[in-house]
Amino acid sequence: MNLDFTQFVPNIPYILEGILVTLKFVSVSAILGFVLGTILALFKIGRVKILSWIADAYTSVFRGTPLILQLLLFYHATPQLTGYDISAFEAGVLSFGLNSAAYISEIIRAGIRAVDTGQNEAAAALGIPYRPMMKDIILPQAMKNILPALMNEFITLTKESAIVSVIGVFDIMRRSQIVAAEKFKYFEPLLIAGVIYYLLVMILTLVGKMVERRMSRSD
Amino acid sequence: MIKVENLQKKFGENEVLRSISTEINKGEVVAVIGPSGSGKSTLLRCMNQLEELTSGTIWIDNQQLNHSKTNVMELRQKIGMVFQHFHLFPHKTVLENLIYAPMKVKGITKKEAESKAHQLLEQVGLSMKVNEYPKRLSGGQKQRVAIARALAMEPEYMLFDEPTSALDPEMVKEVLDVMKQLGKTGMTMVIVTHEMAFAREAADRVLFLDGGKLVEENSPSEFFNEPKTDRAKAFLEKVL
Ligand SMILES: Nc1ncnc2c1ncn2[C@@H]1O[C@H](COP(=O)(O)OP(=O)(O)OP(=O)(O)O)[C@@H](O)[C@H]1O
Ligand SMILES: [Mg+2]
Repeated sequence: MNLDFTQFVPNIPYILEGILVTLKFVSVSAILGFVLGTILALFKIGRVKILSWIADAYTSVFRGTPLILQLLLFYHATPQLTGYDISAFEAGVLSFGLNSAAYISEIIRAGIRAVDTGQNEAAAALGIPYRPMMKDIILPQAMKNILPALMNEFITLTKESAIVSVIGVFDIMRRSQIVAAEKFKYFEPLLIAGVIYYLLVMILTLVGKMVERRMSRSD
Repeated sequence: MIKVENLQKKFGENEVLRSISTEINKGEVVAVIGPSGSGKSTLLRCMNQLEELTSGTIWIDNQQLNHSKTNVMELRQKIGMVFQHFHLFPHKTVLENLIYAPMKVKGITKKEAESKAHQLLEQVGLSMKVNEYPKRLSGGQKQRVAIARALAMEPEYMLFDEPTSALDPEMVKEVLDVMKQLGKTGMTMVIVTHEMAFAREAADRVLFLDGGKLVEENSPSEFFNEPKTDRAKAFLEKVL
């Protein structure tokens, strides 16, 4: 075994720059996924039949097909179908955002369901309309319950984001592969990438714990 | 005035309320009594449309509650409700619980809402808990906050559904005392309760429900001493 990390030292900054790309990619996808996921969850529990049907169908399709297939479809089919020359980053954000929206909507739906119906009734009895009731009474309580599951989803997103390297987004994964190809050595650059992903996940986990603690002040 | 006319309520095939008619006048304290499952909660919940009526009508003052043109949300502001299990908003402090609806629904300023809230908390004896979260209150304290929260909307009517049934015995009195006090201020109250002594002392009138029917309507003294109906007699023999 001849491991030699020193020859990769000059490449480390290049790989590290991928962190920014990955973080940007993950945060934009997460925001898209969260906003859309919340809307879908509200559709699912709402009284408008057609909207809840649409939201259910959406979830079913995005959960029922491989993410990499969705990614490639957005990347390659968008120019073919619409003529718009979509960038790798845009295609990645779109597929990851839409995909995680499906999962997040299920998490949020379950969270809303878990809030005591007495809360709805108390709000109704006070004359509080549906929208503010959802926004100020039900969703904050639901969010608190689902925070661990949501954090989990963001962590998954961070790890899975490595897939976007296949369409040419210069994230941590792709950069380490480029370095590897240059030097014909795979183990060290991939290991470096692995360590970076692991540290990112650990940091996210810690942040999640902190937010959870902050939110449980009312306990 | 709350006027109930031929109220019928079904859950599926199960007829829970059968042609109930009664009137609750301004300033009256009415106790609703009856065996478990007789429809007391359902009757109360119909009075603010938490349950939809199957047939019949309910009038709040001169507005028909169950009418397609009636703005139920607006009408509910007139009617406060207190639940057996409090249903305080757990993520809000006591003060926030009290000011949220008045600000959001009635659009009054934060300052006004807070000053009203402080006054109400004093009335229910909980001024020192103003910044506490509900989790840190005892059952009796929670229920008093819930009463204050309902009063913060300045309702004209108050509905209570077994407000002391979930409480430890030593906390029942503090809640009943607040309610008695409220009754003395002239608040119109409808109270579903199993506290017979309280009903006898604090109510102006008793409604006795059994099997979804309003079986007897009487003054407390007569109802508890010489009930008119055999079913009320049988019920009272069991509970007293
Ligand atoms: N949401 C509902 N769906 C179906 N049936 C219901 C529902 N709510 C109440 N019921 C039924 O209606 C009947 C009357 O219930 P209600 O809660 O009004 O009785 P109650 O007099 O308040 O009893 P308790 O003293 O136990 O609180 C019961 O048979 C109950 O099972
Ligand atoms: Mg009941």
